[in-house]
Amino acid sequence: MRIRVCHLYPDVLNLYGDRGNLLVFHRRAQWRGIELDVDQFLLGDRGDFSSYDFIFMGGGADSRRTLLLKNLEIIAPYIVDAVEKGTVLLAIGLGFQLLGRYIKTEDGDVMVGAGVFDAYTEMDSSRSVGDILLEATADLQEELKKAGNMDITTLIGFENHSGRTYLGEQGKALGRVIKGKGNNGKDRTEGAYYKNAFGTFLHGPVLAKNPHFADLLLVKALSPQEEISLEPLDDSLEILAHNTMKKRLIR
Amino acid sequence: MNKNSINKGFRFWLAFYAGRFSVFLCRLFRLSGTSLPGAVALRICPQLLFYLASAYEKIIAVTGTNGKTTTTNLITYYLRQAGVPVIGNGEGANMITGVVTALIKDCNFFGAAQSRTVVLEVDEGSVGKILPAVKPDLIVVTNYFRDQLDRYSELDHIITLLRNTIDGLPETELLLNADDPLVVAVGRGRPAVRYYGVEVEKDCKEPEKNEIREGGFCPECGELLVYNYYHYGQLGDYRCTKCSFKRPEADFVALDVDDSDLLHFTLHVQNKNSSIDLHSQLRGFYNVYNILAASAAALIISIPEQSIEASLPDYSTATGRLEQFIYHGRLCTLALIKNPIGVNEVMKTILPQEGKKAFLIAINDLAGDGKDVSWLWDADFEKLNHPMISKVVCSGRRAAEMAVRLKYAGLATSKIVLEPGCRESLDVLGLQQVDQYYILASYTSLFNYAKLLRKMGKAVAKDADQGLPSLS
Ligand SMILES: [Zn+2]
Repeated sequence: MRIRVCHLYPDVLNLYGDRGNLLVFHRRAQWRGIELDVDQFLLGDRGDFSSYDFIFMGGGADSRRTLLLKNLEIIAPYIVDAVEKGTVLLAIGLGFQLLGRYIKTEDGDVMVGAGVFDAYTEMDSSRSVGDILLEATADLQEELKKAGNMDITTLIGFENHSGRTYLGEQGKALGRVIKGKGNNGKDRTEGAYYKNAFGTFLHGPVLAKNPHFADLLLVKALSPQEEISLEPLDDSLEILAHNTMKKRLIR
Repeated sequence: MNKNSINKGFRFWLAFYAGRFSVFLCRLFRLSGTSLPGAVALRICPQLLFYLASAYEKIIAVTGTNGKTTTTNLITYYLRQAGVPVIGNGEGANMITGVVTALIKDCNFFGAAQSRTVVLEVDEGSVGKILPAVKPDLIVVTNYFRDQLDRYSELDHIITLLRNTIDGLPETELLLNADDPLVVAVGRGRPAVRYYGVEVEKDCKEPEKNEIREGGFCPECGELLVYNYYHYGQLGDYRCTKCSFKRPEADFVALDVDDSDLLHFTLHVQNKNSSIDLHSQLRGFYNVYNILAASAAALIISIPEQSIEASLPDYSTATGRLEQFIYHGRLCTLALIKNPIGVNEVMKTILPQEGKKAFLIAINDLAGDGKDVSWLWDADFEKLNHPMISKVVCSGRRAAEMAVRLKYAGLATSKIVLEPGCRESLDVLGLQQVDQYYILASYTSLFNYAKLLRKMGKAVAKDADQGLPSLS
């Protein structure tokens, strides 16, 4: 078995250890005998995404937003197309914001995003920084349970983002914030998902802190339509790390 | 810049004596007292730093992400060796409260400064508060790497902060790292800027796959920079393909760098066309920059070349920069780690050393460490996946996450030991039958290990006390 991965803009979206997500994804595939091919898609590159099973976008500095949107404009239709066909996508932080409908700057300028998620961001001087804990939505909990053998219903990460992101009418959140700020610090939503595409502000990296979430992406990348199950791994260390932080945050 | 004639008011004296008294109380109760007296005094007189700084003839400030402490300490050391009365602050005391404390301590009972020159390590986030008050004659900038981003948000903010601050200091001279495009951006458009840089012909290396580059963008037009060669991080010989921005010609150049063991290189001073031969007890390529910056700063303030050349070989490190102990009969090296570039450079320095090794990695997430530990995934811990490394003990508040990092770095779980406690983790390390121990500790755990190692083992004496502020 083989999964084809596209790492989108690693030359710019490379903050906060996010590329650790690909390492975690890679290892968890490898430990189950699944091969991974990773292509780097750099600024200025063109092409479509139909041959990929998994597209990954990390977080980056807000100051690169304009540069990224200029490049993203050209490939956005291909990303949307891939997501519609069930390609798995994970976008963190700025990557998530760029894939929303638009970003409104503090000066009131509206910058059009790729439109994968029904979400939009309004920049202001607020910044959300700190450990974050969420309870996955009922739907997502169901999916997480089916994909993995772990009985974890929470997601943990470290958020570090500016502005406020809101979900549109069709937008579905990843979960409800128990501790931390989430999308906008107001409605307790965090992240968004649509088909097999996931956006979130969770760094950490999110897949390292949430092995059950990593396995969900792995399952979907292997088989976007049908349900399959993965060979279980010894995740005692990962689960211990998750639960240690969870305990600290709930306290 | 002697501003001795400034009239100090009642509030100054009240604040000064409150600060002095706090220093006394801290000593009495054996508290570290590197920041508290300053905090007390500043509450009474917010302009205190301006008054205190006005007593000095020369003020040098060092800021940047990595290398501040070593550079500050080395400049201080050069001055002291050359017979100049000098004081400095130490790391952990590099915010305004620490700077004020250091200056209060330098005054005698009547408020008269004992030293003539001050060398200040200034936290990147505190430049806006400290620099306008002290009006430095010279500002040295080391480098800008991603570090504790939860505290400072993004690098761009830090750089803009420094730029805006120095706009109000037209007379201050700048000494900048030519190899770092982010640092060079600070000096754009200023007249009195001098640069230092490392030029290594044979070292035209590609960046290692796992290394991080954040500064590789043109500060003028935002384009990706292209490099003739890299040293590490975004440091190297770069230029922009869209505009005229490129690495400036350095005034102080390190040539023929030998970093295979103790550092050795030639410092070439362009405007004098002279060269000095520098031998140091420090290791690690990153220390070339610290030595280069400190030597250049000393030359700028007229310390003779011979004095620098003669005193450097006797300089050894302050706490935490590869400090060595004997523990359970074995050499035990303690190193501070605080960001990926730092970890990678420390590992490049210690891994080539011979013998079987056991590691202890202590990661805390308190304010001093940086609350976000996701940077562990940007550091090249894959290097620890090595046959000569038999065990890695993980400790600290984020011990479990460190252990997970190592598991994904490819270490067998049988090599990973989870022991969050400080004392307990050191006990586990002491059981390992290896040739050398290495402890990599984040900032707040560093002191605890240094303290315990002094108690349970003993420090390897270099030239004991150089009168430099210790970290503990
Ligand atoms: Zn340019």
